[in-house]
Amino acid sequence: MTRVLIVEDEPEFMRRFSSAVLNDPAFSLVAAVSTGLAANAMLDLQRPDVLLVDLGLPDVSGVEVIRYAASRHPKCEVLVVTMFGDDAHVVAAIEAGATGYLLKDASEERIAASIHELCAGGSPINPGIARRVLARFRLAPKPPPPSEPGLAGERSPLTARETELLRLTAKGFTFDTIGQVMEISPHTVVAHVKKIYRKLAVHSRSEAVYEASQMGLL
Amino acid sequence: MALALPCAAAQAAPAVMVIDRVQRLASNERAPPDAERAWLPASLPDGGAANRDRPQPESVWYRMVFNGPPADAPPASWAVYLPFFYDGGSFWLNGLQVASVPESSATVQVRWERPHLVNLPAALLRSGENALAIRAAALPAGNVRRMPRVSIGPLDALQPTYDRRMFWARTLPQITTAVCLLMAGFVLFIWWRRRSEMLYGLFGITAALWGIRTLTFVIEQMPVAQWHLWRMAYLGATGGFVVLMAIFALRFAGIRRPWIERGLLLYALVGPLWLGLQGRAAEPFINRFWSAGLIPVGLSVLGVSLYNLLRQRTWAAALLPAALVFPVVAGVHDYLLAWDVVPLMAALPHWTEQRIFLLHHGANLLLLVMGGLLTVRFVRALSALEQLNFTLEARVADRERHLAANFSRMATLQQQHAAAQERQLIMREIHDGLGSRLFTSLSRVERGDMDEAQIAEALRDCIGDMRLALDALTPGEEDFRVVLGNFLFRWQEQLEDAGVRSAWTIDWPEGAPPLAPQRLLQLLRIMQEAFTNVLKHAQATQLHMALRPWAGGVEVEVQDDGRSAVAPQRHGGRGLANMRARATQLGGELIFERSDRGTRVLARVPVVAPSSTGLALQTIA
Repeated sequence: MTRVLIVEDEPEFMRRFSSAVLNDPAFSLVAAVSTGLAANAMLDLQRPDVLLVDLGLPDVSGVEVIRYAASRHPKCEVLVVTMFGDDAHVVAAIEAGATGYLLKDASEERIAASIHELCAGGSPINPGIARRVLARFRLAPKPPPPSEPGLAGERSPLTARETELLRLTAKGFTFDTIGQVMEISPHTVVAHVKKIYRKLAVHSRSEAVYEASQMGLL
Repeated sequence: MALALPCAAAQAAPAVMVIDRVQRLASNERAPPDAERAWLPASLPDGGAANRDRPQPESVWYRMVFNGPPADAPPASWAVYLPFFYDGGSFWLNGLQVASVPESSATVQVRWERPHLVNLPAALLRSGENALAIRAAALPAGNVRRMPRVSIGPLDALQPTYDRRMFWARTLPQITTAVCLLMAGFVLFIWWRRRSEMLYGLFGITAALWGIRTLTFVIEQMPVAQWHLWRMAYLGATGGFVVLMAIFALRFAGIRRPWIERGLLLYALVGPLWLGLQGRAAEPFINRFWSAGLIPVGLSVLGVSLYNLLRQRTWAAALLPAALVFPVVAGVHDYLLAWDVVPLMAALPHWTEQRIFLLHHGANLLLLVMGGLLTVRFVRALSALEQLNFTLEARVADRERHLAANFSRMATLQQQHAAAQERQLIMREIHDGLGSRLFTSLSRVERGDMDEAQIAEALRDCIGDMRLALDALTPGEEDFRVVLGNFLFRWQEQLEDAGVRSAWTIDWPEGAPPLAPQRLLQLLRIMQEAFTNVLKHAQATQLHMALRPWAGGVEVEVQDDGRSAVAPQRHGGRGLANMRARATQLGGELIFERSDRGTRVLARVPVVAPSSTGLALQTIA
């Protein structure tokens, strides 16, 4: 049974998401809250498997909630809900620790399907996001500090295959085509995407740590 | 400077004796004739006008007696000094030859311009009376004998006088010749490179002629065979110099009279041609009459340059006449001296007996001034050029600033224009797309014309429209394939949820001209309409979309396997009209085909807009 926590301040959408979760026998809804602080409290209290979070919350930003979940409960899968699926918001959420995204007007079936995909280890990605993720890795200008041996000497933590996957996606190829080109199944493709998302989150955190140490905060 | 010369000999040392009382005997003997011969008393200087018309076939002996150094005086070298000794000869002291100066012979012609200082050997010199005999060589035809006063005394007392005259009469002409020829070469080179600078040419030739003429003081011995040619060259150089000076002065004053110039040049040629035709015998006549003709030419040069001074009243214009006065006067003086004209001889006997010619010093001064004037002109031309360059640079810089200002103004305008265009685009988006759709839906809902499903569909359309606009108009997204990819990615999900298998073929070469955002947006709308139709009406199971280049544009093909039995409904019909209108608006076309195998929509859109407005939007993108 997958335990789901929903964070959404608009009652209409909260009802819709809740309905999608409740109607699927594989899921159980642990809570549906409408503020970020409540979400944090519920995260600690309930330790859900999946967090479904909207970005625009009345008290704190959805990104804060994602960051909190990623740091305190790394095993919790985070699915971010966006209005239009615009790349900038999605990438910010992924950097905070989200591994999937969902359009706000998605049908109940689509919502459930997305949660299933996420739990099965896959994540969606569109060309715009792929492009931004590539840029985030490539444009990281500062070499990692020598105290972090895991990243030392590496320009990008992505493997060659992951980079290739992003490049193909950015060109507008479908997962089917990419799978054919890279000789892997479409399922493996989305699994790669999820790994990339995680790396992006770690990368952005290490960058933040590095910058903080540079500024003398740590 | 030259004035110091004649007095020096007489006054420098009282011990020097200047002999003017002598005995004279015309004889070709090589040794001094005996005292018993028919010696006649004579006085020095000898010759000149007095014996000009008398033929002088023989050499002449001069005999003089002088007292040697006193016996009790400290031993010192004694010498004999002659300021000139044009034709050479020999010196005998107490019956023995002490020196000789080469004379003209059948093969060699001599002409000594230099002074002579002859050492008297102490062994031959007596403390009492001594007899000095000087043999003056026989003269070539036409030459006039001239014998100066003879100075005898200690060498130390005579040496400075000798040195001074040696410098003025020989060393300076040597320097002059060298400098003139060098300068001529230099100036003529400038003229060769810049033919229009006629003054440089004149100056160069004048300097060259003067260098040649001055050789007369440098060449002392010459084979007889060449002597004649040399004299022609000498005459030509002298005449040419004076005449070119005149032309230079005329041109410098801005006077161009070709016939005067031609006449002058012709006159300069008369002298040497006359000598060439008539031979040596003609030289005295030529010297006397043709050379005299050069004097008025010189005077008119002076006149012209004074006239120029009056007209221009500049320092440069004043310089030339000032420098001309001395050579003109010197030229007249030299002519009078050469021809022993009586008034001059009578007025300045001590000066004229020294026979110091001045013209070549005057000419040096003149050449210096001419060179200076040309240098001033040259420097002025350079300065003018510099000034011109400077003003030109300033003007160019000014122009550049102006252009830069214009450019930035234009850039600002263009930016404002671009921003305005962009705003207009977004306004039109809201107005024509989303706005009109919402208004239509609202009015239909108010009329009760829409059921819930239709309202949901209309709202879904609106959201889809907004997504499309957000995708296409994202700032900084240059690659339209990313936008297209986002669009297709979203649609793939929807189509799959509806049970339609979809496949895309995107065949767009790298580096092909990109599609501007607002054109891409219209194209995506066409595709959205086509996809929506497939989803709603076709009952298709498969959809294939292909994008490829098409004659300067993009071709999009949407093919489904839907049943053709279903006739296009109202909505579908309007959708088709919409698609067609959009394609036409972009300057493209829309082809719609329906068969039992399915429906095929083909949209062709050029990359560049057909109108200028479209072009402007293109550049903004």
